[in-house]
Amino acid sequence: MRVSRPGGGARTTVSVVVPVKDGERYLEELLAALSDAGVDETLVIDSGSRDRSREIARAAGVELLEIAPEDFGHGRTRNLGVQRTSGDLVCFLTQDATPCQGWLDAYLEAFDLDERTGAAYGPHLPRAETSPMIARELTQFFAAFSADGRPAVQRAGGPTFLSNVNACYARTCWQEIRFREIPYSEDQAFGADMLAAGWAKVYHPGAAVLHAHDYGAAEFMRRYFDEYRGLRESTGHVEPFRMLATARHVRAATAGDLRWMAEHGMDRGERARWAVRAAVHHGGRRVFSALGSRADGLPAPLRSALSLEGRGDAGPPSANGAAGVPDGTGEGALPEIAAGDHIDQMLQVDDYEVIDRIWRHGPAPTSGPVPGMADRDRLRLAMVIPPFTQGSGGHNTLFQIFSRLERRGHACSVWLADYHGHMRDVWPAVLRHDINEFFASFGGPVYKGFQSWQGADVAIATGWQTVHAMLALEHCRARAYVVNDHEPEFYAASTERVLAEDTYRWGLHCIAASPWLRDLLIERYGASADAFQLGVDRETYRPLPVERREDTVIYYARHATPRRAVPIGLMALAELHRRRPDVRIVLFGTDKPLHAAFPYEHLGVLTPRQLARLYSEATAGLCLSLTNFSLMPKEMLACGLPCVELAGVSAESIFGEDGPLDLAPLEPNALADALERLIVDRERSARRSLEGIEFVATHTWEHATDEVEAGLRHALRERELAAPAS
Amino acid sequence: MDTAEAQQQMSEETEIERLRARVAALEAELVEVQARADAAVAEWQDRAYWLDRLHIDLNAVMQRPGANQIRLALKAMRAVYWRVKLVSRRLRGR
Repeated sequence: MRVSRPGGGARTTVSVVVPVKDGERYLEELLAALSDAGVDETLVIDSGSRDRSREIARAAGVELLEIAPEDFGHGRTRNLGVQRTSGDLVCFLTQDATPCQGWLDAYLEAFDLDERTGAAYGPHLPRAETSPMIARELTQFFAAFSADGRPAVQRAGGPTFLSNVNACYARTCWQEIRFREIPYSEDQAFGADMLAAGWAKVYHPGAAVLHAHDYGAAEFMRRYFDEYRGLRESTGHVEPFRMLATARHVRAATAGDLRWMAEHGMDRGERARWAVRAAVHHGGRRVFSALGSRADGLPAPLRSALSLEGRGDAGPPSANGAAGVPDGTGEGALPEIAAGDHIDQMLQVDDYEVIDRIWRHGPAPTSGPVPGMADRDRLRLAMVIPPFTQGSGGHNTLFQIFSRLERRGHACSVWLADYHGHMRDVWPAVLRHDINEFFASFGGPVYKGFQSWQGADVAIATGWQTVHAMLALEHCRARAYVVNDHEPEFYAASTERVLAEDTYRWGLHCIAASPWLRDLLIERYGASADAFQLGVDRETYRPLPVERREDTVIYYARHATPRRAVPIGLMALAELHRRRPDVRIVLFGTDKPLHAAFPYEHLGVLTPRQLARLYSEATAGLCLSLTNFSLMPKEMLACGLPCVELAGVSAESIFGEDGPLDLAPLEPNALADALERLIVDRERSARRSLEGIEFVATHTWEHATDEVEAGLRHALRERELAAPAS
Repeated sequence: MDTAEAQQQMSEETEIERLRARVAALEAELVEVQARADAAVAEWQDRAYWLDRLHIDLNAVMQRPGANQIRLALKAMRAVYWRVKLVSRRLRGR
């Protein structure tokens, strides 16, 4: 949310809600600070104070709302507070939190940092009388949210922490999320819910309050019991507990407190006095936290005794309260269903959260077009990639092209979308190194996730898993989709298949890796699409000076990839072996030897140089693809190796009906026939070899890069045409 | 079209051309700034390779109790070592 600064244009109004019960100690000071800060509206909600709290509120001239103690609920009462106020921003303070100088300005600034800011919070500073343990903890806890002392914007995947001791909410965000009516930690639940819904929150160090929990040691323990019980009920967190680890923690934390006290000028006597209290504090906290998050397993009287609030109830409301209750329809014989187990929330963010967000809210708007942007020499290109492993053909294609785009002067960056955490243990610098090691030389930065997203002239999705993530990115002038294959065909009827199909329906300009694929995208999905031809690395793949054998058939038997139709390829080779047992059969592309009905040589996974050597000495190659044409047959042809591929899929769109490839239907006998022809008919084999080398000569990565670059400019041009600039 | 109108039209076209050229220059500047920022991040990623490979967050490590004291102790030891080396070199006349 953007707010206007005080004094400029339409002013943002700020309301403050303070729930109070017996809060006379700091209330007067708090209300005076709010008055000094210049908030527009203050609402005190009193839930049965027996001290002077109501009197203080009336004397301060703020609005006072009185509710019965039994009507109080942390979430419910705060929802009521927002409903009873009218500010664009609504701040919550607890009765013992006094705003410091600059508190309100800091909040106004926080909401200016990001358009999707739905909430902001600030640090809790210790009061003079706060114990050193709490003072140190507060200081270090909040310092961790901002290493450089500046405001920090937190989005999905970042910390969910939010505290209603001192927080401020955009009314628009609250209207969408609202506080859950849970016994405790409604603020933490709100923090998790809002991030999951695509809102951002801001930690602003300037929005500070003086705050203290001046409980005695026993009260502290009971408060931790309540806090961790609430945390379990709202987020499912169970605090681990181990004796040895607890002892180590108490020792380290107490030592930390003593250092902190020394740094803050406390004398030896004072430190010694606090040392005992610190050890009790940290040990008790561990025990009571663990007990609190397991409160549902404790007897009700014990729960009540341990709770500072005296709560003896069993915690999370049962989700199956009506199970087994007679329905009064008189059916009688209906089977009973046993009460189901309550399952806590297990994920902070769903794996498909970004897809859910795009489906609900639509893509982020694109930036307005700039005249002539499609024809600028240099573009800002950001490529979003899915996770990869060494040998990934699709990634190799992408980086062969992207590295060349970079060399042409475009500002290129790479962004990994890894929502399922396949590469969670790989840090960005390693990602970048691996891209250079596995695929092609790339000099730009590589980012994990989109926290540092800076916008681009063209954002480029490169696989179905990247499209929704890319659609959520802001400040893009155009979006394009490099489509390596028709990915829905990788899956049986499944969520993945549906999501992959969905990616073609968002109006992205597609740049397809063959004319066949381009036509499919246009005809089946009505997409706007160009095509590019896969290039061949002629440095590596060329006829090497080795003698070509006359008895060797090689087969790319990558069984782990279903679209390679390996069982049918093996049937074809079995048939060939039956006809010509003298033919040497070599399988490669898979680690483990396959069970086959014929003898063969297993070469495993080969490097490009080894492949070039193999292609240069074999007699015929077999490589099948049930979807888009792959690079491997082209590399075989480049080495002068005649090759058999499937007819009627995609090869004709590249080589024509009677090109240098031998095409055969997906049938073992027909494939064996085609291979046998290449072995027996030497003249045909030699002609195919020459035709192949000649044909592939024009299929370079430079040419592929030309075509992709033209596609990217096409995407920009479409944006210019769709929204002509004035 | 009289002369005044023609002059005004020409002046508007000149202004539009000037603005277009300005936009193009700003666009080029934006790409240049982006390219430099990218290069800086990439250079930093090159330097951080082994830290990332070993999953070491130096900022987090240095925030641990005693980390800075250890660093200072090592620094002092290194200073002493170099001092001793220098003195011994001088004594040996090298």
